[in-house]
Amino acid sequence: MGGERLKIILSLTPPLLIIITLFFGGILYGLLQSLGYQPAIGKYDINFSAYYNVLFSERYARMFWTGLGLNLWVSFASTFLAAVFALFAALAIRKTFFAKTICNFIYSLNLPMPHLVVAVGMIFVFSQSGLLARFASQLGFINSPGEFPVLVRDKYGFGIILAYIWKEAAFFFIILMSVLQSLGENFEELAQSLGANKWQRFRYVILPLVMPNLFSASIIVFAFSFGAYEVPALLGVIYPQMLPVMAFEFFLNPDLNARSEGMALSIIIALIVMILVIIYFWLTQAKIRKD
Amino acid sequence: MKFKIKFITLAIISLFFSKLVSAETAPGFGSWDDVLKAADGGQVNVYMWGGSDAINGFVDDFYGVPLKEKYNITLNRVPLAGTVDAVNQVLSEKEAGVTGDNGNIDLIWINGENFWTLKQAQLLYGPFAAGLPNSKFVAWDNPAVNLDFGRPVDGMESPWSSAQFHFMYDSARNNYDDMPRSYAELSDWIAANPGRFTYIRPGKGGFVGTRFVKQIFFELSGGQEQWVGPFNQELYDKWAPKVWELLNSWEKNLWRSGETYPKDNAEMHSLFANGEVDLDFTQSPRGAGPTNTAGTTPPTSRAFAFYDNMIGDFNYWAIPYNAPNKAAALVYANLVLEPELQAAQVQPANGFCCGWGISTAKVTDAAGKAAINDAQNNLGDAAEDQNILAKALVSDIAAEYQDLIEADWEANVLLK
Repeated sequence: MGGERLKIILSLTPPLLIIITLFFGGILYGLLQSLGYQPAIGKYDINFSAYYNVLFSERYARMFWTGLGLNLWVSFASTFLAAVFALFAALAIRKTFFAKTICNFIYSLNLPMPHLVVAVGMIFVFSQSGLLARFASQLGFINSPGEFPVLVRDKYGFGIILAYIWKEAAFFFIILMSVLQSLGENFEELAQSLGANKWQRFRYVILPLVMPNLFSASIIVFAFSFGAYEVPALLGVIYPQMLPVMAFEFFLNPDLNARSEGMALSIIIALIVMILVIIYFWLTQAKIRKD
Repeated sequence: MKFKIKFITLAIISLFFSKLVSAETAPGFGSWDDVLKAADGGQVNVYMWGGSDAINGFVDDFYGVPLKEKYNITLNRVPLAGTVDAVNQVLSEKEAGVTGDNGNIDLIWINGENFWTLKQAQLLYGPFAAGLPNSKFVAWDNPAVNLDFGRPVDGMESPWSSAQFHFMYDSARNNYDDMPRSYAELSDWIAANPGRFTYIRPGKGGFVGTRFVKQIFFELSGGQEQWVGPFNQELYDKWAPKVWELLNSWEKNLWRSGETYPKDNAEMHSLFANGEVDLDFTQSPRGAGPTNTAGTTPPTSRAFAFYDNMIGDFNYWAIPYNAPNKAAALVYANLVLEPELQAAQVQPANGFCCGWGISTAKVTDAAGKAAINDAQNNLGDAAEDQNILAKALVSDIAAEYQDLIEADWEANVLLK
């Protein structure tokens, strides 16, 4: 019995150590800096002024609250749309047909693609000097490439959302395919034999079965898109600005005092994501208990 | 007899000078010979932005070879994605308690905000710049040299080369003669060419844009002279509203109607190269030459400058407080100021992008002068007339303006 216990402890310790030192160490260090503790420049006081500055000061408040709005909009919209696209793609493809392998390959292709590359690709294709704009003007749909609608670097974040859909749909797709494949078609055939139509089979059989996986994948995608820097940095405008970009600009400031604001903003981003994750867990637990 | 007195006076004077020089030698060394001796047989770890093959090759060929042959020092050039990486490394080393000669970085190619970060945190070795023998070629009395982005250098970095703000246009699209030569003319040009102009947003990472706006203050207020010296809130408050008014009056005719702005040089170049805007900014005395070679601007791009108020500045070498080979770093910082090597860095054929770090007028030996003249006559047709640039040259102003302009531009132009 004791040996078994030791074995568990021994096998859990290395990953736990890494998680604790890297994750909590980093968070703790960031928290200290956000509270104004910066020994490198001789600041040892602990205070909340960096948080106050980010949230309420005349200088940054407007940037912050519009940025938060944009963040929520971009993360919700891209997560939801990517999940929907992936769901339909997976449902369409899971049945065996001649091009299944090819389609599978194409849909999963951009999974290993770095977000940075996808963002640059978006610029090449969708910007006002991009491929589409040039084709459209060559073909005479518009007079000059400049008349092409603004799809990247737009203030509503469409370019960012598009990039995330493009990228995360593949992630959802892989997850959904593995679930659907392991389910097989027995449930559906059963429902069909009981007289359920196509919509009912989707709504009452497939959806409840894939929902848990879809939901946890959504949380991963949401948390990622909420805190990621590179896509909004490349495809965003300077106002409104997503929060990770704003945080990074504090770090670019030559005044080391501004690092406290940068850290405060990063901690705020982390807190918001954590709160959302907790709400999600609470919701799913409640649902499981209900079932 | 007379001759003897002259000789003795000379000897006394030279003794006095050598005393003076040794008093100015970099901390930790008694004389320049001490420095050379300590550097002999060692290595120098040079951390610099590595994004240009031309610059990398220049450093390896023109500095690496003489360092080895003349001083027996091995050059270890470490390429960086951005100078801020080196700054953060020094900062982390400080936080980890790495002191003495136990750091990793001997030299950082640096200026402006990164320099200020390190100087503010007292992470630099020095003052050393005046202790370099070739410091005599540097125009230390020029505020463009002794102030870096308006903040005092205090001998904590030594110059390498220089840059000056001016513009680029594409000769395939526009004519040199039609280019605006002042902000007033630029206003008319923008109105006549709606959607064809934008500027880099003043802000972190976009100091070129801040500089573009700063120069408007100079023109509207009737000249840069009154802005030199300590920060003057009253003067700023008097002119700032007029600057915002001008910038807002442009807005409807800017690229994307001023809804957004490019945030750095790279974005600006790509808008220009893609034909979305007609004007671009450059900092090189060779005008469009370096970006044309690099392919970031169309090969037909050329340079032009306003006739006044074009801000020029210098870039430098700094030595971290915990540099492992301080002596070798000093030898390197001195070497790059050799007149013939300075002439080499201006020669377009050698691929480097920047201008003089020394004052060419201070060079007196024949070989140095010949090299300098040759370089001056060789700048290529992508460069603006050097006389126009020299006439328009003004220095940067107190650092306080920088932050103020960035914050106020955001409040009064971007968010208005």
